[in-house]
Amino acid sequence: MDDRKLVFFTSIEDQGGVIVKETPKFDLDLYIQNYKGRTRFERLFHIGRSSVPLCVDALKAAVQEAKAGKDILRYQMAVNSLFQAARNEPEALLDKAWLDAKAKENRETTLHLQAELQGYKNNLIKESIRMGNEDLGKHFEAIGDVEAAMDSYWKMRPDVSSTEQLVDIGKLLVRVAIERHDWKSVANHLSKHVNSANDSDPKAKALKTYARIANGIAALGQERYKEAAFSFVEANSDVSPEVYNQIASPNDVAIYGGLLALATMDRHELQAHLLDNDSFREFLQREPHIRRAITQFVNGRYAACIEILESYRPDYLLDIYLQKHVPKLYADIRTKSIVQYLKPFSCVRLDTMQKAFNGPGPSIEDELFTMIKDGKLNARIDAINKSVMPLSTDSRQQMQSYALHTFEDYEKQALDRIRRMNIMAADLEVKGTRKPGSMNDIPMGMAMEGAGDLA
Amino acid sequence: MDRRLSVLTAFPPAAGIDNEEYYKESQQHAKRVRELIKDNAQWIRESADDILKHVNPAVHSLSYLMILDYLLQASGRASQQAHESLASYMTEFFLQFDARQIRCTGSIWSDILKEVYNEHSVFPSSIAVEVVTAALLRLDPSGSMLTSHHCHLVELAYSTGNVGPVLPLIQKPIIYMPAKGMSTTQPLCDMSLPPPAYINPDSQLTDALTSFAVLQYDFLCGLCFVERRMWQQAFDAFERCVTYPTRDGGCSKVMTEAYNKWILVGLLLTGKPPTLPETTSQAAKKIFATQGKPYKLFAQAFKADNAGDLTREFQVLNAELLPNEGNVELAKLVLAHYQRWQIINLRNVYTNISLDKIRERTQSAETGAPLPSVEAVGQLLQSMIADGSLQGAIERPTDGSPAYLTFLSAPAQGLSEVEFSAKVNKVAQGIKALQPIIEATNKRLASNREYISHTVKRQLDAAREHKLGLQIAGGGFEESFHIEEEEDLMSGLPVH
Repeated sequence: MDDRKLVFFTSIEDQGGVIVKETPKFDLDLYIQNYKGRTRFERLFHIGRSSVPLCVDALKAAVQEAKAGKDILRYQMAVNSLFQAARNEPEALLDKAWLDAKAKENRETTLHLQAELQGYKNNLIKESIRMGNEDLGKHFEAIGDVEAAMDSYWKMRPDVSSTEQLVDIGKLLVRVAIERHDWKSVANHLSKHVNSANDSDPKAKALKTYARIANGIAALGQERYKEAAFSFVEANSDVSPEVYNQIASPNDVAIYGGLLALATMDRHELQAHLLDNDSFREFLQREPHIRRAITQFVNGRYAACIEILESYRPDYLLDIYLQKHVPKLYADIRTKSIVQYLKPFSCVRLDTMQKAFNGPGPSIEDELFTMIKDGKLNARIDAINKSVMPLSTDSRQQMQSYALHTFEDYEKQALDRIRRMNIMAADLEVKGTRKPGSMNDIPMGMAMEGAGDLA
Repeated sequence: MDRRLSVLTAFPPAAGIDNEEYYKESQQHAKRVRELIKDNAQWIRESADDILKHVNPAVHSLSYLMILDYLLQASGRASQQAHESLASYMTEFFLQFDARQIRCTGSIWSDILKEVYNEHSVFPSSIAVEVVTAALLRLDPSGSMLTSHHCHLVELAYSTGNVGPVLPLIQKPIIYMPAKGMSTTQPLCDMSLPPPAYINPDSQLTDALTSFAVLQYDFLCGLCFVERRMWQQAFDAFERCVTYPTRDGGCSKVMTEAYNKWILVGLLLTGKPPTLPETTSQAAKKIFATQGKPYKLFAQAFKADNAGDLTREFQVLNAELLPNEGNVELAKLVLAHYQRWQIINLRNVYTNISLDKIRERTQSAETGAPLPSVEAVGQLLQSMIADGSLQGAIERPTDGSPAYLTFLSAPAQGLSEVEFSAKVNKVAQGIKALQPIIEATNKRLASNREYISHTVKRQLDAAREHKLGLQIAGGGFEESFHIEEEEDLMSGLPVH
């Protein structure tokens, strides 16, 4: 890494960014071709600021992408980053003429569209008002003013005349909410607008897939991994990627769905919902290594599954939505693999496990120690004979202790509540002055001052 | 002389009479004894020893008590000499009296009991604590009624270091509190009466209490248990202070002090920070969150694997709060128990573990570092096995390989059907035994103004909901309006 890049990535790391030094397996051009709209810039810019090998290529592509659009802020951001990483590149010089011309053009378009909308409003033509708001919203979105775009899209609602139009508004709002990473709003708009579509509509299938993918991304953002996994595996592969390529690609569906399912579903669920799911299998064909990882997991070859996933870690760390969750998802998959590996045995030697799960992290004993301590694995380690023994759950014993504990707790609570009733009936509560947080200044007796120590 | 003695021994009557007759006779007997004392004052003063030897305190408790009362009055309440000469009779009386007769005496019993524990008492504090404890348990064997004597007794026991004798009393769960207006129409000598019916300010077997006195009682009980290392009982006592009912945003200083101690004792008891029970008032929670924050941070550091965090929190706490609140030694004990709990928790991970590994996996919070040697680990384990906190054995292989600890596991199998059924029956009996307590509480609540207004409000709400339900179901407005008008607001209340 040259000095400039080093300074650039050091500053990103200091800001809490993730730096990926390994070369990813994907081709940047082919990768970005899968997307349409503003997500292209976002993804290129994200890769440019995360991947050391792809930094310059990605940022140059981001500059070109920004220049092809209207968002002057994005252009400035991309040029600025490229300048820091590789100032000798021709794209690293700010094109001020373009910038001024685009800013002027944007201002004029905004004024023109606002005047047009005002005219529609004066004429009280509902359909024109709706379209005027839509045009204005799309313009704001294109120039990067997402707040104003959201506002304009929202103003379309009173003037809709069909379910289809309502659904379109929902999709626009969802797209903007995803760009803002406002996951709660995504789910909200989906339930309010997009799910209201009539299932018998021929477009319903496409809409449902769009909704599933958007919901999956939102649930992933909120760390509701299982819900996200089910959302992705319910996407329909017959639907054209054109429907959803402004938020994700079919490859993303396979990767997101596969990884999340591996982290949250058991072997039977993986078989039923992923491998036996004709529609999702189509997605998996685009990412065969994910399919192999799932198959290895289902067949009990956990080490092979983990090995495949580890080899693709750099790729997933460059994904705009996945990056933050990769360490947690990988840790969950590894934990689940160890738990599943131990299930059929009554005792396993630690060196056998060390070979099976030879990961980059701590020794297998330390890993098992942490898992058992955190309650993720029900087993005991014999550190002298170097083995680990899974414990089976005795349901009968659990039921007995639960029942006895419940009875005892009931008696204790009943007595406590009766005591409290008697305190209140005797008018012996501590009374305040109706100001929450005030202290009832009762003088302390001799027993209270410095009392109670063991000296 | 025989005639006079026969007056004193004429009560209690032969068995077979009902409670009302018994009560009437007790009052008549008390009147006769008062007259006898008035007419034969000199004889009583001069022959006190003979008289008290003839009157059995366990049988003729009423007469014995009245004679004692007269003798104390005649020699002057403050006379130490008189008290000393009567101390053995007072002791004999309080250890043996008949609780049924005492219920009919009013304030005399309380007055003489106060002579045992008040500041002018001639009794050594150890004896005083033992005598008062026995007396209170004779009066109310269930120990469920808090009296003003309890509060003075526990303060005396704790301040004089006589905690042992008071334990049988303070371990009983307190359920009832004294309140005025609790007098019953039934004779007080009725042995089926619940304690609050005969022990209350009206019967003068206790004085009225304040919320501070009740809180202080539980707080001092907690301190007594801490002194005896009875962590579960101490924790429960402090928890009663922490969850004490409050209103209008009130919170007592005793509660915040108890909260701090409750956290420390909770760590010693369970090895993890305790969780505030649901019954804690919102106002108290807010105050604990601000004033108890250093203790809370200390407790959270106890959970961490790194002893350094706990040591740092201790230093912060020690500099600001511990000495003022008298918690230094308790917090030091928590530090000492940190490594012990780490070792105990290793049983959830290991079956066998080398002493060297234990040294590596655990740290002393007193030094913030692992123990200096494997030998020190061995000594700590030995002490834990000896005091019963660790179920395990140290194995030292003969082939020279390093020593290791084997955790002894509890029997894995569950209880047999018979054993389980016996345990369930035992707990069920405990729950059934709550029935009379619930009945007594119901009666008590029936005379509480706030409870009645709450019940009336609830009935009004229910009637309103019923009316709405009828309207939704198709009933007319007029019809539902009449339902509310005809509602008897007092029906359904517990019978007073």
